[in-house]
Amino acid sequence: MTAFRNHIHFLRKTDDCCWLERPKSPSPQVLAGEALRANGPALRCTTADSRLDLVSGVYGGVDGLSRRSRYPWSRLGIGLGIDQEPEYVAVLEAVTELTDRVDEHGITYVERAATATDLSVRELGFPTPPDGTWPRLTLGLLSVGTDDGSYWTPIHGTVLDDETIRARVPDAITDRFARGGIVSVALGVPAEALAAAYHLTVTDGLSVPVEDRRVGSTVPVIPTSGGLVPSSSEVVIEAEIADQQPETRSEKREFWERIADSTTLTLDVTNVFTRDGAVVPFTPLDVPLSDDLQLVALALAAQLYDRVNSYWGVAPVEWLLLPASGRLGICVVSAKMLYAGFEWQLSNFLFSFSNCYDTVIIVDDEASPRDLGQVLADIWVKAHPSRDWLFSESDAPVARMPTYSREGTGARLYIDATWDPRWDEEYIAPQVSFTDSYPPNLRAAVRSSWAEFGFNTNPDGL
Amino acid sequence: MSASSFRTFIDVLERSGAITRITDDVSWDLEASAITMMAIETDDRIPVFESVQNRQSDTDARLVGDPYRGPQQRPWKWFSRAFDLPGGSGPAYYEGVIDRLREPIEPRIIPDTEAPCKEVIRTDDDASLLEFPWPYIHQGDGGRYATLTTLVAPDPDSEWGSWSRHRAMIHGASRASLLLLAGEQVPNHYYFNYELDDEPMPVALTIGAGPAVESTAEMWIPVGRSEVSFAGGLQESPVDLVRCETNDLAVPASAEVVIEGRVLPNERLHEGPFGDYFGYMNGPRRSMPILEVDAITHRSDPYVPFCVEGAGIGYGENSSSTFAVAASGPDATLGLRIAGFDVELAAPWPFTSRTVWVIAVDPAYPGVLHELANFIFTTWGMLHIDFFVFVDSDVNPLSPRAVIEAISLHADPSSDFHQFGVERMPKVPLNIYQTPDEKGSATVGTSKTKTSKAYIDACAGSDRPAQVVGDPDARKQARELLVEAGVPEAAFEPPNTIGGDR
Repeated sequence: MTAFRNHIHFLRKTDDCCWLERPKSPSPQVLAGEALRANGPALRCTTADSRLDLVSGVYGGVDGLSRRSRYPWSRLGIGLGIDQEPEYVAVLEAVTELTDRVDEHGITYVERAATATDLSVRELGFPTPPDGTWPRLTLGLLSVGTDDGSYWTPIHGTVLDDETIRARVPDAITDRFARGGIVSVALGVPAEALAAAYHLTVTDGLSVPVEDRRVGSTVPVIPTSGGLVPSSSEVVIEAEIADQQPETRSEKREFWERIADSTTLTLDVTNVFTRDGAVVPFTPLDVPLSDDLQLVALALAAQLYDRVNSYWGVAPVEWLLLPASGRLGICVVSAKMLYAGFEWQLSNFLFSFSNCYDTVIIVDDEASPRDLGQVLADIWVKAHPSRDWLFSESDAPVARMPTYSREGTGARLYIDATWDPRWDEEYIAPQVSFTDSYPPNLRAAVRSSWAEFGFNTNPDGL
Repeated sequence: MSASSFRTFIDVLERSGAITRITDDVSWDLEASAITMMAIETDDRIPVFESVQNRQSDTDARLVGDPYRGPQQRPWKWFSRAFDLPGGSGPAYYEGVIDRLREPIEPRIIPDTEAPCKEVIRTDDDASLLEFPWPYIHQGDGGRYATLTTLVAPDPDSEWGSWSRHRAMIHGASRASLLLLAGEQVPNHYYFNYELDDEPMPVALTIGAGPAVESTAEMWIPVGRSEVSFAGGLQESPVDLVRCETNDLAVPASAEVVIEGRVLPNERLHEGPFGDYFGYMNGPRRSMPILEVDAITHRSDPYVPFCVEGAGIGYGENSSSTFAVAASGPDATLGLRIAGFDVELAAPWPFTSRTVWVIAVDPAYPGVLHELANFIFTTWGMLHIDFFVFVDSDVNPLSPRAVIEAISLHADPSSDFHQFGVERMPKVPLNIYQTPDEKGSATVGTSKTKTSKAYIDACAGSDRPAQVVGDPDARKQARELLVEAGVPEAAFEPPNTIGGDR
């Protein structure tokens, strides 16, 4: 388990987090939006006063559309403690495992790192978006304690005054509390806790408490008035659920709300706990590559990857990716073609298990999730424009993410960018690349002389 | 002052710190191209190979690996410096090129004595292709190739002939096979005029003709107009030409190498396999027309630039993909505007620049996208392009993120994907989605089997998600702070909207 501040520290150590003194202007939300637009590093806005440090881009940050040493899953993978350069599938599997049911509880209780503060929730200094009136907290973890255990979900909202938060939470969690009950909001939690909360929310898994999930024994926790929260949380807010719940909708939504029903929850803050030098994540909403979108993309991909490889008795799928740049309207899957027609079966399986996207792209099993550029070439180059772009009749349910229509029925498309399994081996065109086009001894010689030749880059990643 | 020769272009690169001169002995046999390929994949400097091993002659030729390759984030960067055009944003660069193309300048003939390309003149048996270290580029290629070439050929409609890029596979001292694909202007002249009359076609294959000439050789210049005049417009000065030794053609006086010869009628040599611009080795070998060499003139220490074809696919950028985005894109944008279409910008898809194009357009009336696609598919997009993606007029076609979002969110599979007939269109045989049998070896160079073409309407109208946070001033302030904190300024390119993000 990696505490959030250690996660940020690791990103800093790997040159993937830059620091900036929080300016009076522009808003950190604008800074974060521009950093995302630039495929930039995670961005930490520091303060010398009592306000929180804010950090954006922690859970994704990049789009994978240019060659880089960081991938959309790298930062989350580091937070999950997988590796400094985590493999994509290892991240998917780690996310899935966090929400696995466990028969025996292995809860580890550790003292809460945050201590009580006199600061009000408003004085914590959450960023106010340029189009907003109130400060906004994002990427929070809601904990609801019950007799059965604690339930974790995502939470975000606006800080209306010193003690009131108007939040959005999954509708499904409202069955677990009553008006006047106490809940806790934790910010700056370990990546395991947040990833599990997103995964449970988008996979309809909120009916089982975290004590019965692997995350409950992975992340050290501490009881609070609301429920169990990660002990290392940077900020813990205890709050009562207000008696009056106005009929309002927040102006902005986190991305999970496009998949799971959500509801407004007004909270009256009773206690605030912070760590020394507390740092919490935040993200602008509704813009490309936002952290909430990346977390949902990874959570949904983890679920689909697990399901599709648990179905046929074999595991034909190498990886499955929902590019954040497509806002989950496209699903890319790399698979071994088990037999002629398998591509049809696979794509329609994927349409059956998620209604987010209307397009599935299938690539060969040697394709790499680190090379989305090759995928975005192969769909036009390797797939025949009429034989391999295959449309269903227009009688399917309309996919959830595209914006072209919200009513009636629609069509689905799968693009088969794999080699036809009926083709003779001699028909298969070898790829052109440094690895494929040159013999090993020459490649080694080029690498060893690279700096002497006057080049600056590091060729070892290729 | 624009760079008007290959040498001055190299100077621009050198001053920009974009070149590394490698003085170690390097072999033309895969090694030079392996180094170039690695430089492409890592987006590093352009290699100049000062000492090429295994030379078979005294000619002190040097190889240059993909000299026209631009940085992956801003492929047009070196062209903008070479032509003194705006380079900060793609759309601004495009408009700069378009303005230049609107003002062509006729070339001028200079005396042989002033022409660097005449420093060495070899004719008849003294003229040998084997004097030069043509690279063997990918293992599996059918032979050694001249790839960055400009072929000058006669054109009855143009005083200066027709100029276009065609690669040559070297077969010996005096023979090479030329890739001539029917459907393009010069191949059409050869197949349907010269060859039908059993006449050889005089040509000059130039190497290192300079950035303006080589850019316009990639453009689709209308019949009756001359590529070299548009090159003059692009560089804002006349291109200096000199007459060939053995035919009436005029060639760029500053060229590094000029190979004069004839394309023989009704004779063929093998061409390919070759690691092609699709990013794969295409096969099988095919028969292509023969270039018979009559004379070679060159500078005394010529540069021989080459392109590692196929490396411009996916994330990579090579000379071919850079020409596509930095030359063909502005030319296509201008051409479509002149044809009456309300096109904001037309650009190749960065991951496969000759197969897919993205066009930002105002769909002013029903059916306009069909008309637009039909216009291009039947003209300059006939052989190579299979797909068009149409996006709203303020979506930046140079931003893959914006285009993927447009396809993902706004293209309805039931109504926005349109195929033009089913397998009725011609296709180059270099593709990899047809079987070798389907490609065949047709006499005029196109695939035996036809293919399909399609366009995608990814226009949204007004229903588009937000792209940015904050007003322009706040975002500018944010970018300045981020640059101070270490984020490279180029990282903000390309913006998702034309002019809007910044």
